[in-house]
Order: sequence, then structure tokens, then C-alpha cells
Amino acid sequence: MTAQASVTIGVLPAKRQGLTHWLWSYGAMLRWELANTRLILPLLVLAQALSGAGLVLGFGLLMPSLPAYVAAYLVTGAAVVSLIMVGAAVGPQLVAQQKMEGSYDFMWSLPVPRSAAAAAWVTLNTVIAVPGMLAALLAGAVRYHVSLDINPMVIPAVLITLVSGTLLGYALSHAISKPEVTFLVSQVLIFVIFGFSPIAYPAENLPAWLATTHRYLPFVHMADVVRSSLVDGLATDVGHSYLVLGIWSVAATAVTAVVLRRRK
Amino acid sequence: MLSQTERGAHMIGDPGHQLPDGQWSFRATDVTKTYDSGETFANDGISIEVHPGEVYGLLGPNGAGKTTLVKQVIGLLKPTSGSITLGPYDLVDDPDVARQLCSYLPQAQMPIDSFKAHEAIAISGAIRGGSRDAVRRRADDLIAALEIEEWRDTLGTKMSGGVRRLVGFIMTTVWPGRVVILDEPTNDVDPLRRRLMWQQIRKLAHDGVAVFLVTHNVMEAEKSVDRLAIIDEGNLIAAGTPSSLKSNGRHHVRLQLMLSPGVETPPLPEFVIRDTRAGNNLITVIDESAAATGIAWARNQMAVGIADEYALGAITLEDVYVRLTGHASAAEFDL
Repeated sequence: MTAQASVTIGVLPAKRQGLTHWLWSYGAMLRWELANTRLILPLLVLAQALSGAGLVLGFGLLMPSLPAYVAAYLVTGAAVVSLIMVGAAVGPQLVAQQKMEGSYDFMWSLPVPRSAAAAAWVTLNTVIAVPGMLAALLAGAVRYHVSLDINPMVIPAVLITLVSGTLLGYALSHAISKPEVTFLVSQVLIFVIFGFSPIAYPAENLPAWLATTHRYLPFVHMADVVRSSLVDGLATDVGHSYLVLGIWSVAATAVTAVVLRRRK
Repeated sequence: MLSQTERGAHMIGDPGHQLPDGQWSFRATDVTKTYDSGETFANDGISIEVHPGEVYGLLGPNGAGKTTLVKQVIGLLKPTSGSITLGPYDLVDDPDVARQLCSYLPQAQMPIDSFKAHEAIAISGAIRGGSRDAVRRRADDLIAALEIEEWRDTLGTKMSGGVRRLVGFIMTTVWPGRVVILDEPTNDVDPLRRRLMWQQIRKLAHDGVAVFLVTHNVMEAEKSVDRLAIIDEGNLIAAGTPSSLKSNGRHHVRLQLMLSPGVETPPLPEFVIRDTRAGNNLITVIDESAAATGIAWARNQMAVGIADEYALGAITLEDVYVRLTGHASAAEFDL
């Protein structure tokens, strides 16, 4: 048997904190999350890419020819759905899975700042979600000849959409103690986002009360900020959308912070 | 990456920075945890003190409140009342420092399906703040010491439960905190590597760690712990060294019968002070003055086909445990 190396316990006690500790923890947690999803990551990315492209191509079967304006609306909407779906629906299911396996307590006993763990989670969700968005845009360009006019605002638009969507899903999945309930809620979210959110169609198509409700929910605003960064003239009052999303992002961050620091 | 010393350097002035090893005691004082608006006591006024260098056992049947206590130590739950401190730190007020100073091996298997063993260990070491080279060296040593080299590059999905447990143990201890909490660490591990794991647990304590061993396998704990507490229904019902806990039964001996498969427990003679049955094992405690009579009775049980064999021995911690909790421990089923 090999003799043991010194444990160097003597230098451990000082409390680690500050930016260096945060960055170190973020890097380590990101390594963990990427390795942890390694077996399913290619499948998740592929599934997102296929569903993003599939949404566009599926509508093409339903309506073989579309006016350019409608096609652009549909294609950019499909791209946004891909972004939202991962953070708000797939992410919570991964957390619920941890709870079912019994590994949740271990993950939360790790000595990293909760915010660093959440940031690593958002990064992982970005890795999964962005290919779906790109695939939807590519399919739209090929199938409907939608001409994209991508401007630099695409970066903040995609980021604020991903951060607010992912953190909402994250807070939800941590706040709900029973994983079975999380699965159910995420299914409902998918249903609401896909079917009853004016992302791939204009809000005017909805009943008035639902259209009004969506003015306060983040989904339509996520669509508007991303859409305005991809195609000119599709969205109006983008500043207002950023304001609403800013409020949702702060609220999602605050709720996440409370949920993650909460001890029963 | 920064070395441990470099990372620690900007924290001079932290109350724990230069504390001598001897002052790193863990103290839980009057810890109470209630649920259902105070009607259910998961922990009821538990006080425990563990010193660096000690292996401390936390024993009790399932549902006794052991895991609840541990979750309060590492900041996953908050005590309803009472205090938990480690050296200069209040772990209840500062759960961040609790997680830094306490390494935790949960009873459930580690989530390492997608990891090769050496990766899971390396990332765990990094998460715990160890530098890459130092973690690698210690990981190599622990992998060798536990004789699991052949699974070093194996994915978690392809590991047996025992190997997975050993990898989890290394993940927890490759860069240990001041307190290492091991919840049923030897579950699924083969007897040879159990022994190797116990050597490493001892080594941790020798290096100045306070080791918390949570188990309901009393026989294993008896051989391994310096001191222990027995918890039942949320209460601490006994604490001390294994010897001190056994001292109450100094004039008693254990008479154990291996009953033939399928037979009922036979009527017990009056000299039997206590009895418990686990599987086909019938364990009785008798006064040492009744030893000869007891042996004669046991032989008679064999002669009439009720028992296959018997053994007479000194009182064990298991007997104390059974007396105090009314439960047989997991170990009795392994006999």
C-alpha cells in the first residue's frame, strides 16, 4: 500500500470568499455540470436543434407558403422558443432528476457560493439552448428564405432571455420539494410557452384577457427583444420589453437567491 | 490556478486563520429540530462535542434523527434552537463556512454516472479548493491505498456499487474539511476494501480531522470509533467510549444461537435477561453466573434441531444498542 500524502489541513480553515473564490468555484462547478451531463449533452443539444428546426419546418408543412412578414415572425419565434424551453422546462427536469437520485443534498453540500453554482447552471443551459436557436434560424433561412439582419443587440437580447428564463426555472425547481411536482409543472410550462404565448404569432391572435396577461409575463418580451436583433421592423417598443425583462431578471435573481439560501 | 497558500494569503485576519489544531473542536449544543409547527421532534436537545483526531460514531436506527442532525451541520437545514460551532465559527449563522469546513459523504450514491473515477475525484478536489497538483497526488495515493486502480478510468455507469462508494469516499476526503461526515461509508464495499477504507478514516483522524461516522452498523462502529452517541427518536440516549457504554453490563455475557432455518424462537429460560432476534440469529444476554446453564440449554436446543450452533462471548456494543433502542442493528443480519 502506498503511504498517504499529507492532507495539508493546516491551511484549510481560513474562510474562502471574494471574487477569486467565486471565479474558482464557477469554473469548478461548470466542469462538474459539463461532465455530469456528458452522456446526455449531445442528445440534449441535438434534440434542441431538431425541435428548433422542426418547429419551422413543421409549420412549412401546414402552410407551404407564407408572406415574408409572417415567415420572419414564425422563424424568429421558433428561435426564441428554443431559448426559453431549455431554461424553463428542461433545466427543472434535470434538477428534479437529482432529487429523485438522492444526489441533490450532496450537490448542495458543496463548498461553493450558490451564485457561482447558479451561474454555472445558466452557462450549461446556454450551451444546450443556443444550437436550437441557430438551427431554427438556419431552417428558416433555407425553407422560407427569411433574410436575417443580425445586429449586436442579439448578445444582450439572448443573454437576458436565457438568464431570466433559466433562473425562473431554476428557482422553481429548487422551491418545489417534490420532484414529481416539478416534472408536472415543467410540462405545464412547455404547454403554455408552446401553445399560449404570443411568441411565434402576434398577441392580437389571443383572447384579449390573455393578450393583456402576456404584457406582464416575460415570454412575449423575450420574443420581442430577440426578434428585433435578428430582423428589422418586426418588434416595436423594444425599450419597454427590455424594461419588463429587466424587472423579471431582477425578480428571478432575487427569488433564486432566496430559494437557494433558504434552509428549512 | 492558485495554490492553497496563495488563496489563503488574502484572508489573514480571518478568525480561523492561525488557530492551533487543538482548538478546532466541533460542538453541537442543545440542538433541537422540530417539524409540523413544533409537534414532531426530529432532534430534541442533542449535545455532542467532537475533537480533531477523533472518529466519532453517530448511531441509531433508521429515522432516529441522525441525517437531520448532519444536514443541520452542513447548512442544509436550520436548527429550531441550539448552536453548532466549529472552532471559532458559528455554523448555523454561516452555512457557507459550514460547507467549506465540513466534507460530506451522503448515504445515497454519488451522482457520477458520466464521470470517470479520476475526473470525479479531481473536480471534487477543485470544488473543495485544492490545487490541481496537490489533489492529483493525494487522489493517486488514495486510489492506490483503496486498491481501485483498475477502475481509475471507468465511467460511473460501469462501476459496481462498492467501487462507486469508494470513489465517493475519495471525492469527499481528497481535500477534506476540518470535519468529515461519512454516512454509512462502507455500504456495498467488499470486506477487504472495507478494511482499507477504515485505515484511511483512521489516517484522516490522525492528520487532525474530526471524523463523524453515521451508521446503524454497530459492530463495525465498535471496532472503529473512539467515542459514540446513540440517538433514538430524536433523543441522544447514550454517549461515551464503546468500553464505557458496555461497562453497565460487565457481569453479563452474550449467548447467541444460530437457529435452524424456519424455526420459531424457542421458549426462553428464566436466566435470559434480554433477547433479540435478527434473521436466524437469536441473541440473548445472560448473567455470567448462568453461563454453564446457558451452554447446556443451547446444546439442548441443538440436540432437538432448533439451533445449528451457538456462541458464548463478552457483551458487545450491539447488546448495549439493542437494550437502549430496542432495535437490532444492520450488522446482526450480516452474521
